[in-house]
Amino acid sequence: MTYFSTYSLSRSFGGVRAVNDATVEIEQGKISALIGPNGSGKTTFFNLVTGMITADAGKVLFKGSSIGGLKPHQVALRGVGRTFQITRLFREMTVLENMLVPVRRFGVRELLKDAVGGSEAARAMLWLDRVGLTKLQGEPAANLSYGQQKLLELASLMMSEPELVLLDEPAGGVNPVMIQRISGLVRELNSEGTTFFIVEHNMPLVMDLCDHVVVFDAGIPIAKGTPDVIRDDPKVIEAYLGG
Amino acid sequence: MLSGSKEAIGRFVKWGTLLLLVCLALAYPWLFPNPYLRFVGVMTVMYMGLATSWNLMAGNTGYVSLGHSAFFGVGAYFTGIMIVRFDMPPFAMVAAAGVFVGLFAIVIGWLALRTRDASFVIVTLALVYIMLLLAQGWRGLTGGSSGLSLPRMEGIGREDAHVPFYFAFLILLAVVLFTTWWIGRSKFGMGLVAIRGDEDKAAALGVNTDLYKLIAFVLSAGFTGIGGGIYVYWFSYIEPFFVFSITIGVNMILMALLGGTRSLFGPALGALLLVPGTQYLIGEYGSTQLHVVLTGLLLGAIVMVLPMGIIPSLRSAAAHLWSASSGASSAATCTESDEVAEGVGR
Repeated sequence: MTYFSTYSLSRSFGGVRAVNDATVEIEQGKISALIGPNGSGKTTFFNLVTGMITADAGKVLFKGSSIGGLKPHQVALRGVGRTFQITRLFREMTVLENMLVPVRRFGVRELLKDAVGGSEAARAMLWLDRVGLTKLQGEPAANLSYGQQKLLELASLMMSEPELVLLDEPAGGVNPVMIQRISGLVRELNSEGTTFFIVEHNMPLVMDLCDHVVVFDAGIPIAKGTPDVIRDDPKVIEAYLGG
Repeated sequence: MLSGSKEAIGRFVKWGTLLLLVCLALAYPWLFPNPYLRFVGVMTVMYMGLATSWNLMAGNTGYVSLGHSAFFGVGAYFTGIMIVRFDMPPFAMVAAAGVFVGLFAIVIGWLALRTRDASFVIVTLALVYIMLLLAQGWRGLTGGSSGLSLPRMEGIGREDAHVPFYFAFLILLAVVLFTTWWIGRSKFGMGLVAIRGDEDKAAALGVNTDLYKLIAFVLSAGFTGIGGGIYVYWFSYIEPFFVFSITIGVNMILMALLGGTRSLFGPALGALLLVPGTQYLIGEYGSTQLHVVLTGLLLGAIVMVLPMGIIPSLRSAAAHLWSASSGASSAATCTESDEVAEGVGR
């Protein structure tokens, strides 16, 4: 059984086929990358599989069951989490409060649970400690640097205990030191069992971090394989350089 | 150590103030036995509860309802009709009004919460007019424009007529405040505030935004409906323009904005300041519409001068003073720890 797959997934905006007949598979426990030139449909693909937008056609399967057509919160509760290309945080809420929003299981007891002082807050503090944001727990999220916001976004996502994490440009707009930290964290979480699927333009990072690469061009998957195979694939070079 | 004792003092002051306010609130009818002042007291506590109820939805989620008069009116009519037409026990019907309006709000919310921002405001506004027309038209049930007269409460002297209603509204206020406080600390409350910040992002984190909003909306409406129920029994009379009036909903909003929608006690504080003020103007200048004009000016002034409302503004001013005196602005703290955080990777 494939861990996560899409089958002939398609979506058009007006006359533009943003994602076109995309059949993609990724394996459990691996770090996979989704690369491609700007406008090749990567973010649209993420939006489709997480239910943020609806597909015109095609299937999305996660652990053997269909998650296509589910609402975003249902996808999240099934264990598929995501971050956003332009980091999205609850800017007025404090760093700690941001950590307390994600929901692991849906239930009355879970929702009425004391978030501020209870076990949830304790769990949040462990994660903040891990990403080095403990001291900033009381700051509004808007006051963080961009790199810190990226860390907070990933840490808060981990509060919902996702099995599969989709990262949309985790290294975009971040300084090299912070890129090292984020990629180190991804590697750690991966070794602890989280599967990653990453959209990224930073090729050295992709080649270094990922086990498997899928290449999109104009909404169509044109190549897949290990980083070494992808690097030398003429179709990929054509897509990036040929225009 | 030092900060620990400071915290203890802070807690002592906070709980002490709260206890003092509760005692004052409980003693009010006997501190001011004058019937007019008792009447103003009932109005004040009523609006404190209503504004806090309104804020349960709007303050948390950012969804501004202009239509809470509709829930107030439905609660009032439900209670009135049950007492007049079915001879039911009044205060039991007040509680039942909360449930009835809650159910009503499930239907309304299911429809209205498909919209966001300004569209939501308009939809809720339309609800008030629909209910007004319904109350005017359905004469057999509501008495139409001539209204419904309720029997007055028995076994109580004229002097003390306001007292039971004062306490009924006080209980409502306590329940709404407690509910709001509880929600504010819960995962559910975090989700609501997240909806205010970025609804789609909240959904991506597993927050069932539609359900969260609906629950907050139903609670907010249900409490408002109970307020309407107490009000109709207190006034012993109801007619459509009385309750299905935009003014009641606008008052709740104005009070919440004045006190601060982002704070637990803000809306109640707003009501505590505005209701006696308005009643004074009505008393002094009677039939003139001066109080309406001043209410409008006040709304303008709040938006210009105190966009966050009294309590959050005071809080942030205090925080500024605090950080200025300890020699570090929050911005400086941020940059500093930024370097610390980023330095770890080196």
